[in-house]
Amino acid sequence: MIVVRELTKLYGDFTAVRGLSFDVGTGEVLGLVGPNGAGKTTTLRCLAGIIAPTRGTVAISGHDMRSDPIPAKRALAFIPDEPHLFEYLSVEEHLRFIARLYGVADVESRIPVLLDELELVEKRTALPGELSRGMRQKLAIACGLLHSPTALILDEPLTGLDPAGIRRMRETITARAAAGAAVILSSHLLNLVEELCTKLLVVRRGECIAYGTIDDIIGAHPHLAGRSLEDVFLALTADRSPTPVV
Amino acid sequence: MSPFLYLSLTSARNRIVAMARRARRPRYAVALVVGGLYVWGFLVRPLSRGTGEGTAFFLGQPTEMIVTLLIVITLMGSWVFGSDATALAFTQAEVSMLFSAPVTRRQLIKYKLLRAQFAVVINALIWVFVLRRGGTALPSPLRAIGLWVLFSTLNSHRLGAALVRSSWREHGAAGVRRHRASIAVFVAICATIVAGVIMARHELWTGEGAGAFFAALGKVLANPPAYWGLYPFHLVVAPTFAKSATAWSYAIVPALGVMFAHALWVTRTDAAFEDAAIKASADRARRLEATRSRRTMAIAATPKSPTSTLKLAAVGHPALAIVWKNILCLRRTSQWRVFIGPAVMAIALGTAMGSGETDMAARVASGSMAFAAMLLLFGGRLIRNDLRHDMQHLPLLKTLPMAPEQIVIAEIASSAVPMALLQIGLVIVAYLAMLVSTVQILPADARLALFVAAPFAILSLNAALATIQNGAAVLFPGWVRLGPTVSTGVEALGQNVLATVANFFSLGIALVIPLGIGWIVVAWLRQSQPVSLALVVIAAAIILGAETYGVIRVIGRALARAEPSQTE
Repeated sequence: MIVVRELTKLYGDFTAVRGLSFDVGTGEVLGLVGPNGAGKTTTLRCLAGIIAPTRGTVAISGHDMRSDPIPAKRALAFIPDEPHLFEYLSVEEHLRFIARLYGVADVESRIPVLLDELELVEKRTALPGELSRGMRQKLAIACGLLHSPTALILDEPLTGLDPAGIRRMRETITARAAAGAAVILSSHLLNLVEELCTKLLVVRRGECIAYGTIDDIIGAHPHLAGRSLEDVFLALTADRSPTPVV
Repeated sequence: MSPFLYLSLTSARNRIVAMARRARRPRYAVALVVGGLYVWGFLVRPLSRGTGEGTAFFLGQPTEMIVTLLIVITLMGSWVFGSDATALAFTQAEVSMLFSAPVTRRQLIKYKLLRAQFAVVINALIWVFVLRRGGTALPSPLRAIGLWVLFSTLNSHRLGAALVRSSWREHGAAGVRRHRASIAVFVAICATIVAGVIMARHELWTGEGAGAFFAALGKVLANPPAYWGLYPFHLVVAPTFAKSATAWSYAIVPALGVMFAHALWVTRTDAAFEDAAIKASADRARRLEATRSRRTMAIAATPKSPTSTLKLAAVGHPALAIVWKNILCLRRTSQWRVFIGPAVMAIALGTAMGSGETDMAARVASGSMAFAAMLLLFGGRLIRNDLRHDMQHLPLLKTLPMAPEQIVIAEIASSAVPMALLQIGLVIVAYLAMLVSTVQILPADARLALFVAAPFAILSLNAALATIQNGAAVLFPGWVRLGPTVSTGVEALGQNVLATVANFFSLGIALVIPLGIGWIVVAWLRQSQPVSLALVVIAAAIILGAETYGVIRVIGRALARAEPSQTE
């Protein structure tokens, strides 16, 4: 469903992403992890069509993002870490706006369900400025899920959510994957990644340093056997042991 | 060095450096060269003999009094409507670091005044070059000082008004009592001006034409009682309008006195403004969340909580969803408020043009035409519910399943079509008023030609102007101020003049081909009857529309390549 080949993004002389290739199939959840500045957000923005890769290709549901962007974007939902909302549209108007853009004919029946699922019913006429950080994130998630995307890209989706929201978001991701969506999840919460993801892509300085199931990755690094995902991540990504901040 | 001075200087320096760094990109480098030539041609180029004669009236006595009146009216807006509440706005970083720091309110207000000096000085310099073409003997450095005093005083006044209103809201009746002296002065000034106009109303209405009206208005304002109310403001304006160094030297001392009195008033206004400032800062931050601090001088409108909405069908062309969204934006960001000024000016102008007439219909026709013309010229800069706003949401726009060209068309239509419909409505009002008027403002055939051709011309001109301004936002997001509302206040005066003239210059280039073809057709027909002229205007409008579409395609390609880092 999501096919990425030799994805490279340059900013002048700086290489933000270098030659990433990976696939996310139907029902799979790929965890994209890496230290700060590794190129995760740049990668996700390339996949979502927000920025154009310098080289390489991205295909969503068989549509190339460069040559056939509209069907590719129609199949996709991108939920960024910082919710991008229109400050003058209410919660419900956001959903109606997205419905029209994506041609969601049954919007009247879907809106109440989504609002209820994300606990936004009482805020349906509120503007984003009247919502808490977590509620704005829920609204961004609702907008992403409204058109039942077949490819779902989430960049730190749990930021700002309360414990109940986190649990619901976990369930939502699992349910969407079970329904056949290809999901990419970028997060620093390694326990979440370990729980939800069927595959892992570890990046550092824009390059892939590990890709596959967690078992595959550990299999390629036998000295990490039996260690937690956090230990594996730190071992793979650290140049040297960090000095603790006192 | 004071930490506030350090913060102001380093922020200004870093802002300039950041803007200069963008010029390394080819597109910005070309724009810099073109912009430099434009500024040189418009402002700095040595004046040829006699150039100043045509604009000398800008610095005449009636203009001086009318400018004084306009300044007073603008400042009244701060008191009555509180439209300058965001004069209190600080950046989020300032709120976090300065409000919790061990500094006094007075220090914070002084910092606010200091920070505004960057914009005040820049705009004073721009206006020096603009007024240099007034053709008086006053040396430019002296005029610069006069303008600096004027703009600094206006800035202090806006801040002072915002502080008083803040205290009023905070403390209710106690706040009113605390600032009773300020409020009494404000009421007295209003009363003298209104009394002056009422007492001289017969002189204002009996003159023939606009010139007589404005001459009479200037006379009314230059005499008691209006003169008493305008006096302190006139003192501040006087150095700018001084015709010689000697006159300036007499005028500058009282002006400095008024400026320092304002500074003293503002810094001594012990109003608890933090709550209002935090609210204003939060409003602005929400508006400008995608912008850097270099654009935070802009005044931001706060979206109103929705009390009603517009229906949007779930299925249909997605471009209409963009238009729907932007119309809601227009309704909810109080952008209609910006029409109050042009409407008042149009009424005044229409009244002035028809001041010799007793026929109300003639005055309505004149006023409507004047309003339509003003909106045509300046309307595109009054509302910004298009890419000038939505470039702040570039990441979201780029994920939408729409071709970039369609997005651009929808965005431009969002501001151009409502503005054009408003103008067409005014033309219809003017046409109907002309039909019932006993005065023949235009011959019947010319009236009909105007009525038929105007919608085409209005639509194409509005689309072209909106395209120019949207194109600037897409091509140069790092240099164009992005946001929903128009910059107001002293910090924006100079930039607005430059930007407006640049828009007209671009439109002039776009009109070369349509007008050239129109001229050839008229010459070929060998007649300039109204009906022929109407047909030519329609043809020219269609050609301009085709040119605009070509530019929209270019903007669409630029939007497809635009990256969020350019707007962040």
